[in-house]
Parts: sequence; C-alpha cells; structure tokens
Amino acid sequence: MARPAFWKVDRPEEGGPRLAHLDRDRRLVEAAQTDPARFEALYRKYLAQVYSYAFYELRDHHEAEDATARTFLAALANLGRFEERARPADGEGASTFRVWLFQIARNAVAERRRQRFRRPVAPLDAAATVAAPIDLEADVTLHDDTAAAWRAIGRLPGDRRRALILRFVDEMSTAEIAGVLGRSEGAVRVLIHRALRSVARDLDDPSR
Amino acid sequence: MTGAFAGRDSHEVDALITDRYLDALLAAHARGADHGPAGADPAAPVRMAADRLARDLPRLHPSFRFEEALAARLAEAAARMSLAAAAAADGSVVPLPPPRTPDGTALPAGDDLVGADEWRSGIGRPLLIGGALTSAALSIAGAAYVAWRLNRPPASAMVRAARAVARTRPV
Repeated sequence: MARPAFWKVDRPEEGGPRLAHLDRDRRLVEAAQTDPARFEALYRKYLAQVYSYAFYELRDHHEAEDATARTFLAALANLGRFEERARPADGEGASTFRVWLFQIARNAVAERRRQRFRRPVAPLDAAATVAAPIDLEADVTLHDDTAAAWRAIGRLPGDRRRALILRFVDEMSTAEIAGVLGRSEGAVRVLIHRALRSVARDLDDPSR
Repeated sequence: MTGAFAGRDSHEVDALITDRYLDALLAAHARGADHGPAGADPAAPVRMAADRLARDLPRLHPSFRFEEALAARLAEAAARMSLAAAAAADGSVVPLPPPRTPDGTALPAGDDLVGADEWRSGIGRPLLIGGALTSAALSIAGAAYVAWRLNRPPASAMVRAARAVARTRPV
C-alpha cells in the first residue's frame, strides 16, 4: 500500500499552511491495489501516452503495441510494490505513478530494441523496402512539417530523443522526466536545451 | 545574476530559460493557443525548434481493436490476481491440535494411533465429503459410522462391562 505523502505547502493568501495531495493518481492507484480489476482506469488514462512514447522510440506500430502491452501487464503485476515517492518540488500535479509507469515502458522499449537486434524479422535490404503499417513520412494526410519534426527527433541520440518525446509528446515536467531517465533535473534541462539546438540545426538544414 | 540564476554557469542559465519557456509554451498549447508565450526569450533557434515540436509532434493512439484486446488481457490477469489473493487469504494452513486420550494425555502422532479405538470413537472428527466440510455427528456418513461403531463388539473389558450395566438399566 502506498505510504502517506502529504506535505505542508505555505499559502499565505489562503490563511496559512495546507496539505497538498501530491499524486493526482493516488485514488486510482489505491483502488487498483485493493481490487486489480480497477486497474482499467489507469490503463485507459495512460494508454495513448505509453503507446506514443513506444511508437516514437521504436518507429514501428507492431513493436510499439507489443511494448505497450508488456508495460501495462508488468505494471498490473507489480502494482502492489509501487510506492508513492512524490516530492513538493514535483508540484501538485505531479504523478509519481506516471513516472513509475514510464520507467517500466522505458525498460520494455529497451528490451524490444534488444530483441530487434538479436532476432531481426527480415533481412535489412528487404525491410528497407517495406513500409511500416503506420508510416508518418509516407502518410499524405500529415503535414510536411510533422514529417520533418519526426525525422529530426529520430536523428537525436538516446536520452536527448527520449527527453524531447517525454517533454513534447507526453507533456511531462522536467522533474518527471528526471525520474523516468534517472537523472537530475538540472541534467535534464541541459539535455533538452541541447536537443532543441540540434533539432533547430536539423530543421534549418535544407539538405535534410 | 540573482534569484534562480545565481551560482549557475551560462549553459545552466540558458537551459533554465528554455525550461521556463517550454512550461509556458506547453501550457499555452494545452489551452489551445496557436502561438507560444510572449516575454520569455530563449535563443531564437531554440525557440523556433520548440514551437515546431510543440505544434508538429502529435500524440498517437493505438487502434481501438488493440485497446480492447489489451483491456481484456488485463481484466483476465486482474481476475487471476484476485483469485490468487482470495485463495491465499482463505487457504492458510492451521495446525491441528495434538491428539489426546479422553483423560487429556497427549498421544504421539502417526502410526501409534492405530488401534486406539477406546478413545477415538469419542472424538468429533470432521469429514470432508464431496468438497464440503461437515461434522461426523450430522452427516449421513457420520450417522453410518456411529451406527457401525455402536454395533461393533467392544474391544476392551471395561467397555463391555459398561455396556452391560447400561443394558440392565430401565430406559
């Protein structure tokens, strides 16, 4: 069961300190820990976020679905061990469950990448000619700018790419990204800043 | 430099300015604003890249079919977890008290009990019949066992004497 995590927050305009509820998912998590069938609410809430992260990382629809399924099944199986560790610096809207879930997703994606290298499903030359089921670059309904942004993100190295995906696609705070990537908040800020400079150079380059 | 920027090098200051701009940008984006916030000023290329990514990187949703199939798998897993938890709660092993003779003396367990009919007939031993736990005194099997036990020739002289006395008494 999650331990209590109430912190005093000074709000002079409201007449003194008050207790802030730090994890916005606490009620849903406690309900699911009591009755696993109620995990569905958390699943529906975070499905698109986890799937998006997996898809931007793996760039393949089927692999993203596989990583998403592994993430939620592992989260359900280990929910009893989840312990809330919110800090006042994370802000009132911070969700430590989301950070925990994305740590699982990050591992699932990394495992999928390892499998891809160990057991490629098709020869590389054949794979290059087969379009993915969802191919953003080939999708005529999407704007050219989306394809350019998609390519620019894809060219970034590991943690820079992950940090931008979590910041822009999943709209996480710097503190949450730090939790997912296992880095300090300062390091994540610098990582994102440098990644944005790389993306700016990439988008400015007419040869790309 | 003062406040949040004090004691930081230029990279950290730039990163902090960018971070604050992104907070404002994503908040504006969530409100549906079509342009970034005014006033915050990271370097122009960084600002341009941030505006592009906030606008051009969509959040994706898997297919409805996948969503429902995974929901069903999770529901099955949740049901298994609930069953396992219920079994763990109800199925705890409770040690039986050591067997004792009618006068309260503890007997050794195992084969030494075979043949101790004189005291064993007096123990209300539960039986498991058809998956239901019932009492020997109330169940059909229990009634049959008691009838058989009463008609069986007593094993010891003391029991035979007691039954003979009981038969001579008026009902």
